[in-house]
Amino acid sequence: MKRETDYGYPIKSVYSPDDLPGFDYEKDLGAPGSFPYTRGYHPEGYRSRMWTQRMTAGLGSSVQANGVLKKYREMGQRGGMCVISDRVFSDCIDPDHPNARREAGVLGWPGCSLLEFEELMEGIPLTGQSITLLGSSAPTVLRLAYVVALAKKRGIDPSEVHGSVMESPFENYFGQTDVQPFDLNLKLWLDASEYVVRNKIRMRSSVISQHFQESGGNNAQAIAVVLSMYKELCGKLVNERGLDFDDAAMVPYELVSIGSRFFEEVAKVRAMRRMWARMAREHFKAKKEKSCQMLIAVHTSGRTMTYQQPLNNIARCAIQTLAGAIVGCTALDNATMDNAYAEPSALAARMSLNTQHIVAVETGVTDVVDPLAGSYFVETLTNKVEEEAYRILKEIDDLGGMIAAVEKGYIQTMLREEAARKFREVDTKERLVVGVNHLAIPPEDDFEIPIQEVHEGDSEAIARRMETWKKTRDMPLVTERLRRLHADAGRGERFNLMPAIVEAVEAYATAGEVIGVIRMARGLSYDPFRLIDCPYSFELEAA
Amino acid sequence: MSKGKGIKIIVSMIGLDGHTTGGEVVSMLLRDAGFEVVYLGVNQTPQSIVDAAIQEDVDAIGISSHAANYSLIEELMDLVRAKGLDDVIVVVGGNIPKQQILKLAATGIAKVFTPGSASSEIVDFLVANVRRLPGAPDSVEHRAA
Repeated sequence: MKRETDYGYPIKSVYSPDDLPGFDYEKDLGAPGSFPYTRGYHPEGYRSRMWTQRMTAGLGSSVQANGVLKKYREMGQRGGMCVISDRVFSDCIDPDHPNARREAGVLGWPGCSLLEFEELMEGIPLTGQSITLLGSSAPTVLRLAYVVALAKKRGIDPSEVHGSVMESPFENYFGQTDVQPFDLNLKLWLDASEYVVRNKIRMRSSVISQHFQESGGNNAQAIAVVLSMYKELCGKLVNERGLDFDDAAMVPYELVSIGSRFFEEVAKVRAMRRMWARMAREHFKAKKEKSCQMLIAVHTSGRTMTYQQPLNNIARCAIQTLAGAIVGCTALDNATMDNAYAEPSALAARMSLNTQHIVAVETGVTDVVDPLAGSYFVETLTNKVEEEAYRILKEIDDLGGMIAAVEKGYIQTMLREEAARKFREVDTKERLVVGVNHLAIPPEDDFEIPIQEVHEGDSEAIARRMETWKKTRDMPLVTERLRRLHADAGRGERFNLMPAIVEAVEAYATAGEVIGVIRMARGLSYDPFRLIDCPYSFELEAA
Repeated sequence: MSKGKGIKIIVSMIGLDGHTTGGEVVSMLLRDAGFEVVYLGVNQTPQSIVDAAIQEDVDAIGISSHAANYSLIEELMDLVRAKGLDDVIVVVGGNIPKQQILKLAATGIAKVFTPGSASSEIVDFLVANVRRLPGAPDSVEHRAA
């Protein structure tokens, strides 16, 4: 069995002060709440702010997803909600698209119009909890427009809503692709980010190393990749959109994956905080302390949830949740015991959410800030992962930054090779996974857990509803709003499309329509799959 | 290792499933085992996969599934039969529930590989089950020769 970290540092049997020559508490760690924030941002830790305990929802119709969200609230999820979109919305086509009819609501929430968001949020408050909508980068502007539009409808100032509905354009390269081109996703991300800053809306964008790691990337690579994304995206907001860095730094938050190698995961997050603090201060010349504090949410690792003996996943989830709590996260959502099968069943979701509650109230982990600080082992691991991450970060910098590294295929190759290496390690039993390549049992002896079924008719029903509902809209208004959006989209890369998108969304223009007309103005086909034509004729009028 | 020498296989995602890691890892392990892999990537439809199978004259089709869109796999099987590709076996890999595996088997899927499958299981199954029998004009041996 391999005794080394996932980035190849060989682990010794014992650690001592000799492993930390020149260790300087003030410089390397600082007290909790002090630069470089290795120990976190709050002097009192969870005593002053508990992490947001949440579960990801989204499956079937919006009405069904609303039911799940209400159920989670009953289970004690009050601090924030988290909804993931289906493949259709992730691609910004509509459920009635020929390629979408079988997949609407299959793997998430089919949020292709404001109507769907209204149904999702029926009876659920927009304020007093964080609103998180995940899925992919392309619908970033739509998710933001939904929040703004619904807030206005409910008579709430959008600046009172907080959460995260934007998503970094780089996620497309981390093993979960959508069909929209990178330059479009980047432009729309910059528009949304500039819009929230200028309108003082407390909405964040996820900049996710979790996808990267769930697709096989190692801990050091994950840190380097997330810092490179921060550097590139904040740099663009400053240089291309004219924002102060201290405002730009309030846009991204990091969603980190926490696996079972407990101490290494704790070290990863501590190193990530320290490295960003230094980058913010030294590279970006941060004026505010808050800009040096990378907001970090945790998702426990779905890829470690095994198909075999799924009850074992409860143990894995508990270990990972404890690690996630120890690192001092701002929010946490768990993988579930049925993660290797399907979207969470009600039982699995309750199990996972309760795992958080048990960790929060029964273990004492919330009493003390950064309890592993000063451990010779954990501090060494923190230094080692940082060292390797800096090496990779420099390689990415030398290529010209994250965008250049993606264009040159560096990131994709790195991820592909690492995923292959992880597979081989299990295949050759260098790494053991209980129930998979170690202590396996015959499938017939395995305990059967309830599985959330996908009903084939649901998707077609969602598609048919959209088809008929589309015709009931105020079509002259939809057309007028889309015409304005189309015109705005022709006004250059830095012309912000958010105001026109919000207006179009308020008139119930759909995801496929909004992104479709923007695509057309950029010389692309209305439909990324080239199967349907734009139903509006304003392109001719505009010409 | 050259167990797979002479066997040509498509590896593809189907529908809007954008999860590529599984398909890429399996393509790598098959190539390492000597297979000729035609990797189609994302955004493939049942029609485009069958078209590629005919054009590339493959022995097998491997679908990587991480998005629960099983009805598209059933549609693929209908099309495979309609086009008379009786000598092409279709296998699926992914996080697929047991009940769904039974349904897929009923449509003629030769094998579903669940998460945690060893590379040897995948390689050995394909080598043992590709249908172009030894001695046939288009056989594996013939191609390898």
